[in-house]
Amino acid sequence: MLRFIIRRLLITIPMVLIVISITWGLIRLAPGNFYSGEKKLPAAIEKNIREKYGVDKPWYVQYGKMMGSILRWDFGASLKYEGQSVNEILANTFPVSAVIGILAYLLALVVGITTGTISALRQNTKWDYGAMGLAMLGISLPNFVLGPLLVLIFSLTLYWLPPSRWGGFFSLNIIMPVITLSAIYMAYIARLTRAGMLEVLRSDYIRTARAKGLRERDIVFRHVMRGGLMPVVSFTGPALAVLVTGTVVVERIFALPGLGNYFINANLNRDEPLIIGIVAFIGIITLVFNLLVDIAYAYIDPRIRY
Amino acid sequence: MKDEDRITDEKEMGQREPALTPLGVPAEPPVRTRDGDIIHTSPELAVGEADVRSAEAGQHLIAGTSLWKDAWRRLLKNKLAVFGMVVVGVMILAAFAGPFIIKQATGYEYSTVPSNPDLLKSLPPFRNPDHSFSWTHPMGTDNTGRDILARVLIGGRISLMVGIISTLVSLLIGITYGATAGYLGGKTDNIMMRIVDVLYALPYMMIVIVLLAFFGNGKLIGNVGGNSAYGQLILLFIALGAVSWLTMARIVRGQVMSLKNQEFVLAARATGVSTARIIFRHLVPNTLGPVIVYATLTIPTVMLQEAFLSFLGLGVQAPLASWGSLASDGIQNIAIFPWQLIFPGVTMALTLFSLNFLGDGLRDALDPQMRKV
Amino acid sequence: MSFLSSSKVRFGLLLVALSLLAAACAASASNQMFFGKTAPPAGQVMRYVTGSEPESLDPQLGTGQPEGRIYMALYESFCEFDPKTMEPIPAIAERWDVNKDSSEFTFHLRKNARWSNGEQITARDFLYTFHRGLSPELASRNAYLGYYIKYAQPYNEGGVFVRDPGNNSYLLEKDFAKDEAKTAAPAAETAEPLTPATEYTPTAEEQTPDPDTPHHQFMHAPNRLVLPADEAERAEAVKDNPKLKAALAGKTFEPVKADDMGVEALDDFTFRITLTQSAPFFLGLMAHQFFHVVPQKVIEKYHEAWTRPENIVTCGPFKLKSWKPYNELIVVRDPNYWDAARVQLDEIRFYPMEDNPTIMNLYKAGEVDGVLNHTVPAAWLDVIRPLKDYMDAPEMAITYFQINITRPPMDNVLVRKAFNMAVDKEALSKWRKVTKPLTAFSPEGVFPGYPQPKGDKFDPVKARQLMVQAGYKDANGNYDPKKFPIDQVEITYNIQESNKAISEFLQAQWKQNLGLTLPLKSMEFKTFLQSRANLEYKGIARAGWIGDYLDPVTFLNLFTTPKGDNGTGWYDPKFVEMLNDANRTPDKQKRYELLAKAEAYMLDAQPVIPLTTDATSWMKKPYVKGMYPNPGTMHAWKFVCIEHDPNKWDYGVPDMTSKELPICTK
Repeated sequence: MLRFIIRRLLITIPMVLIVISITWGLIRLAPGNFYSGEKKLPAAIEKNIREKYGVDKPWYVQYGKMMGSILRWDFGASLKYEGQSVNEILANTFPVSAVIGILAYLLALVVGITTGTISALRQNTKWDYGAMGLAMLGISLPNFVLGPLLVLIFSLTLYWLPPSRWGGFFSLNIIMPVITLSAIYMAYIARLTRAGMLEVLRSDYIRTARAKGLRERDIVFRHVMRGGLMPVVSFTGPALAVLVTGTVVVERIFALPGLGNYFINANLNRDEPLIIGIVAFIGIITLVFNLLVDIAYAYIDPRIRY
Repeated sequence: MKDEDRITDEKEMGQREPALTPLGVPAEPPVRTRDGDIIHTSPELAVGEADVRSAEAGQHLIAGTSLWKDAWRRLLKNKLAVFGMVVVGVMILAAFAGPFIIKQATGYEYSTVPSNPDLLKSLPPFRNPDHSFSWTHPMGTDNTGRDILARVLIGGRISLMVGIISTLVSLLIGITYGATAGYLGGKTDNIMMRIVDVLYALPYMMIVIVLLAFFGNGKLIGNVGGNSAYGQLILLFIALGAVSWLTMARIVRGQVMSLKNQEFVLAARATGVSTARIIFRHLVPNTLGPVIVYATLTIPTVMLQEAFLSFLGLGVQAPLASWGSLASDGIQNIAIFPWQLIFPGVTMALTLFSLNFLGDGLRDALDPQMRKV
Repeated sequence: MSFLSSSKVRFGLLLVALSLLAAACAASASNQMFFGKTAPPAGQVMRYVTGSEPESLDPQLGTGQPEGRIYMALYESFCEFDPKTMEPIPAIAERWDVNKDSSEFTFHLRKNARWSNGEQITARDFLYTFHRGLSPELASRNAYLGYYIKYAQPYNEGGVFVRDPGNNSYLLEKDFAKDEAKTAAPAAETAEPLTPATEYTPTAEEQTPDPDTPHHQFMHAPNRLVLPADEAERAEAVKDNPKLKAALAGKTFEPVKADDMGVEALDDFTFRITLTQSAPFFLGLMAHQFFHVVPQKVIEKYHEAWTRPENIVTCGPFKLKSWKPYNELIVVRDPNYWDAARVQLDEIRFYPMEDNPTIMNLYKAGEVDGVLNHTVPAAWLDVIRPLKDYMDAPEMAITYFQINITRPPMDNVLVRKAFNMAVDKEALSKWRKVTKPLTAFSPEGVFPGYPQPKGDKFDPVKARQLMVQAGYKDANGNYDPKKFPIDQVEITYNIQESNKAISEFLQAQWKQNLGLTLPLKSMEFKTFLQSRANLEYKGIARAGWIGDYLDPVTFLNLFTTPKGDNGTGWYDPKFVEMLNDANRTPDKQKRYELLAKAEAYMLDAQPVIPLTTDATSWMKKPYVKGMYPNPGTMHAWKFVCIEHDPNKWDYGVPDMTSKELPICTK
């Protein structure tokens, strides 16, 4: 196991560095500058700014500085938001994205697995078709349509929920973003669960269990669930990595101070340290999650050994 | 229907054993072949990933003479898939013929701004400015008084075109790349797939900005698309295709790896057929089943991505519209003109809904072993 | 089949539900007096959306209006903006003197002005503020606002004086005046010699004029010559001036220092500023955020971290309580503020948000009490304008399109004029509803008494004649649109709903009136800026300008830099001279007339297509009192309060003319 983890790290860490380098190059290629604005600056002021932020240095010096910042895990100050360090921004925004993401995923898991299980146990009944139809709808309804529709109904017409903004972890504000975000995952998990369960339900060992006369509840919860949820487990890693690192659309619709929102703005602002910091951070998070999934796999499926 | 299902299922279970490699060693469990991945998956992409896994598990597609005919018959039996096919067909027809019909009937085009200044505003569906009933604008008008139905239809044309053409672009790149990597194997394969991983992890938006900036400004290779709104569209096809071939490449690679040691390939190799010919004449045609399936599922994904780019303002150029750009315009006005979001949004959802059903049906029909996810 | 029907049913139900809601919504919006909920929050707490996330809490670094509004709660300068007219009113300075030609200002500070830590604010703090703001190390993007101050530009640009080590004297600008424009120094006028005539007369409060000092003498001595510090640049600057080149031999170069600038603390409570030129508008500039006074001790102790909530020291009516970026910034009443008794709000919560629909949704749901300018989309006005919480007034901002005059066919002034005349600006304004048509370059109705020149009117016939004159005609001498190279002209804009709408309007106008279908080209913002600044765009590009201070010069100044920083490539020394002449004129009305003449001269060259004077177009809940639709939408927060008695609410735009400001019932 340990050897496996080390080998994985040896491959992925250089890859994260390559990703960061290419990103850095892309920022350089994109037109415009972090300080460009509607009012064009006098040349001298532009020169002062370039000197202050070291943008006047040759590219390899800047690249070295950037790489150094990653190795030290200190990305320096944001160029756009004077006085905020990138590390601080990461520390402030990640919890918001993570909470919304994890809540959305939990909701998706509960609803998705329940409906998926019902679907599988009542295959080809109305229940099954209804649940799967709804799941398909969840996959087909883009979240930038779903979110505003919820806002329209619950905030602007019924005045029940605040339409946007972050109000802390225990506030009404959190409800609509979580639902919007989880819809598609709910639907996908329901489909995965159903497929996985169907496969196990038809396997020999379940047939044996049935033949032995085990109670149906025990069969479902002890045997079918365990095997049938494998696809959900492998889906969880990448999905959770995406969710906790911020989903741009939902954060934008609901004006949440999350990582995704900052990332889009950093791109639009050409805020180099912030872009690099977020890309590196997301790279690491994804790496960790995929690793965790593989470990989880080993526990659930005894056939897998590293 | 039920009985048939069961029969397919039995077959399926018979073949669920891990595939044997030529040396008689069981292949690694599916997920293991992907070590070192750092993947950014959107849920849409994840659809592809499940396919990657089943594909990489080494399921073989044994092509028989009546494969396509069989598949077609199976597809027609699947009511949901037929429903999807009909809706998509109607949608395509409407998107391409609809604007002409509307033009004939009312004189409106998607870009027609009324010359009467009193009509330069957003009207609710089936309403005149004085709130009396009217058939002129069944979906209402947008802020400049343009007919939303005409815009939804032209938007459908653009969105479907974006979906289909970008998917073709991604097919072209993905198949070539994936097949090459899969066939050559070893270090080459390793390096090629690591490149795919790196591309997965790059900030997608930055890539699109850079692509649009360079190709759109005539800086690198001249002004690719010319000046028209359609020019920018071509760029969009390329940009979206260029970022959505990655999963396709993975699927094809998995397929090719499982096929490349079969007798027909070994025979071809023994008779001195060139590598390129082996890949493109012998291997690629045998991977088409899963590829077609995945392609149908890529179309909605790409359409959603285009919509997302339009949402951020990087999509199609005005006055052209896509469903995404229409929805994003609609979001701007949701507080008082909700029909501007509802109609494009629902049309888009309905089409994606049908496309997904069609994709599911195709998957079941073309490859009965692939489980119904 | 069973599922098909059930899914259809569900789908149908969903559709029906949504359309019902849609109808309900549309109806609810049209029959009300206000937009959405109107329940005031408990107590004196204001929740306000100020626009995008503040770049910084350092008033000398943050450049936008969103920051400016926050700074108005946290900081003050000598004066601040009047809540109704935006003219300067006394703040930390209780009064000021201006000399005869408006080139020297003396501010008298009040003795009870204190920092939020209780320490007294003195003239030395202001001296530090000016030195810091203009230092090249701070690299403030707003530093150009201080360039009117004598030797401030060379200090900020890193210029040098030329000293003769022999007799310890400096080379003077006037001795080499012929090449004045080619040196890096500003096109500065020779300061008038210090004579009693140029000094101000003592005001009633003081019996003697302010003391003369060596620094004051230096300021009024003939201007020293300034050259770039960098040797290569210097060589470039003097290469066409053999006389100067010869004079440089054997001289030493002395960097222009902060102390050389025309700012001086005469004593703890008196501060004098000397300018390079006459600038009657300079007082208005003093209320700008760039000149807000900042705490020297705190900055020197914490450096960049001084604006963090645990370190920051401020001087405005409110002080910082907490700041969660992208979420909220809370300020609370500061008991140390000199006018604390007048401050009515206990707390202001600023919400940084950019997306207009999101902001308006929040407003409708009653989660905020007021929003920034331009938040109400033009298309909504049919519904919103009749409501009593809609705020509207002409804004100190214009929308125009600029023309790249360096590329054919737009290098021909006839073509430019034709394009301008072919746009029906009345129709544009009628459609956009929220704006006024504009033919000139300064906003209309913002500067009282300014005789704004009129540009060419909408005249499609004349436009086509001009095109014929420019050579786009067929054999019979009739206008032939096919001759015009339409692939050389694009309508370029950055993606934003309103820009898109206006660009599409222009496209339709030129199609209709000139028979030319020009392509539209939208760009991501930063890409667009680069293309515009470097004159890479073809033809025509969207532009807008917001004034920095209440004077037409803030608009006309755009065309005074030789390198074409205005994005059009147009520059004319005669225009610059006309502006300078106007500014030297002491009489206000006379000066306005001269400025108007200069504006007309610029318009005649048509480097721009003026479109509209913008309108502020925002909303506030009726219970918010003391907030006015002034030309910059800058609010003096100490006058704002929450009125809990519905009888005293604002039903419509509050009275903008009376001097009185509201006091809310407790």
